[in-house]
Amino acid sequence: MKGMAKLIRHCVGILFVSTILILVLNVCLFVAIFMKQTANIEPWTTAQETALALRQENNGYVLSREMELELASEHAWAIYIDNETLKVKWHTKELPQMVPMSYTASEIAQLTRGYIDGYPTYTGVTEDGLMVLGYPKDRFWKHMSPSWDYDFIKNVPAILLIVLGVNIAAIGLIYLVTNTKFLKSVTPLARAIEELPSGQLEELKEQGLLVGLAVKINQTAQILQVQQQKLRKKEMARANWISGISHDIRTPLSLVMGYAGQLEENLLLSEEDRMKANMICHQSIIIKNLINDLNLASKLEYHMQPFEEKEINLCTVVRQSAADFVNSDFAGIYRIKLETTKDAEVCRVRGDQRLLARAVRNLLDNSRSHNPKGCCIWITIQTEREACLLSVEDDGVGISKENLHKLRNTFHYMMDDTGIEEPRHGLGLLIVQQIATAHNGAVFLDHGKNGGFQVLMKIPLLNKEADGRTTDL
Amino acid sequence: MFSSQLKSRRILFVDDEQALLDMAVSILKDSGFENIKTAATVREAVEIAKSFSPELAVLDVMLPDGNGFTLYEKLRTFTDIPVLFLTALGEDADRIRGLEIGADDYMVKPFLGKELVLRIGNILKRYYGKEDPLVQLAGCVIDFARAEVIKGEERLSLTAKEYNILQALCRNEGRIVTIDQLCEAAWGENPYGYENSLMAHICRIREKIEHNPSKPVSLTTVKGLGYKLTVRKD
Repeated sequence: MKGMAKLIRHCVGILFVSTILILVLNVCLFVAIFMKQTANIEPWTTAQETALALRQENNGYVLSREMELELASEHAWAIYIDNETLKVKWHTKELPQMVPMSYTASEIAQLTRGYIDGYPTYTGVTEDGLMVLGYPKDRFWKHMSPSWDYDFIKNVPAILLIVLGVNIAAIGLIYLVTNTKFLKSVTPLARAIEELPSGQLEELKEQGLLVGLAVKINQTAQILQVQQQKLRKKEMARANWISGISHDIRTPLSLVMGYAGQLEENLLLSEEDRMKANMICHQSIIIKNLINDLNLASKLEYHMQPFEEKEINLCTVVRQSAADFVNSDFAGIYRIKLETTKDAEVCRVRGDQRLLARAVRNLLDNSRSHNPKGCCIWITIQTEREACLLSVEDDGVGISKENLHKLRNTFHYMMDDTGIEEPRHGLGLLIVQQIATAHNGAVFLDHGKNGGFQVLMKIPLLNKEADGRTTDL
Repeated sequence: MFSSQLKSRRILFVDDEQALLDMAVSILKDSGFENIKTAATVREAVEIAKSFSPELAVLDVMLPDGNGFTLYEKLRTFTDIPVLFLTALGEDADRIRGLEIGADDYMVKPFLGKELVLRIGNILKRYYGKEDPLVQLAGCVIDFARAEVIKGEERLSLTAKEYNILQALCRNEGRIVTIDQLCEAAWGENPYGYENSLMAHICRIREKIEHNPSKPVSLTTVKGLGYKLTVRKD
């Protein structure tokens, strides 16, 4: 559900950023509109300019030509009221009929704040009178009582902050209300999608806003489960088939080996025939080992090999396998040098003792089968951080760069490029890798320092502090 | 390799494959074992066991009318002869089951004729041969019955730990016995941390069994792995 929390954080983040952006945008728009609004002091200015543009001449009052044209372009009219008589002393040619020609003080106050017969009026003053400019009725709306309390003006910043806070709270509330239900529907779906790869998904309730999606997820889970079951069944069938074949082949192979062995011992036969019998015997043993390897490899591959996990001293296992190897080396052509560090001597790993012994045996057998004339095998065990490193290296024929590359990619691949009689295809290293993997470890192949082949097996150490668990490498 | 007395012991061979029975009998007869009877089913095996009184039984596990493990239990109701399982079931669980119920050995098919002969012979030797309590070494004789080392005229007593260590080495004479195995033989389960004590005991044993303990001949060290006891065979 980490993803869900991340999604919620992301949404809240977007919401917060959007709120800030909207606020900034609003401020910008407000400033822009305000700037435009300041232009609306223009009718007052025009009225004042008209007042100043009205000159007294012998025949009366004359308005400048420019001003006349400007008023005409605005479809505005103007009257000039004398201070003493409160009568209209001058007016423009186009003057609505309803405009009075004389005024009382209250009417002047009225027209200054508002309208004359619905025409918005603006005033400009001269020494002798008052210029009144009237605009078309649909040109301006006038605020009749534009006055502000000083306390209010003083508190404007606080008020703005409060408004901002309220806005944010309101947006948050709206978000929560609208999204809670959505989240309620999404959360089980998200959890289900997260659990899909594990294959242990409980059926989702098909309800809520996203019912369609829930149905699809249930269908997908079902398909996956069926596929997993089929795959498991297939894997089991395959492993069982290999197991069955390897079982069925044992008795006939016993007969081959038994009779070949008997012929090999029969002194009545010629040397050549006995050699042939020896070869049959020898090849039968190879088939037998291959069958055993194939069986184990398939069981490890399909997790059908019983894994008896316990605390193990890897040095003990390796020492025993090495001793067994030397004990079975009747010709005495393989020399084993075992080196362990003090840390490694006491270190513990968690695993299956028999499987680990099998891995070591396979590595030693690998050196033997590729170096039939004998070699020196160095076994070193040391610890590194959270892992136990087991290296098995020989000074035998080694491996070419190309084959090492191929072998690293496919552990069961091994080309016979040296012309030695023994077939080089085997499952020994694959089994070693599978055993290492089953122990959360890894296997690395390399050229040996002494010209031979080196296999490094890394097994995680037992971590006592972490409740006896091992760490994945 | 095996005495004629051992080779004359009666052997019951049970397997449902007639061809394998024929081959096994042929191999055993070639090696000098004469008294062999075969059976292909549990019922037949029990009947023959009662009439033939075998001294060793080789049992297959998968039989047409039951399995070798139940046959083993049936045989145990009237005889305590040694039993060797010879089967195609090679899983560890099967081996462990076979050995746990009390079988003396467990062999998995396919097998070499020689191996079969050796295993049968060794079981017979263990059961019916007399173990010599005297072990001949290059410079002395170990008398396990008295827990003593006889060195010329001198008789040196072995301590309990020395006795256990020497016995473990003798059982595997000519083979490397690991440090861990020897520690286990001397100190039982969880033998970790006794390596230095083991070295001290080995030194003392060498003083008793070797002519020149600084240049051991009988009890040699295999560096990093363990020790090996070489027995003199006259």
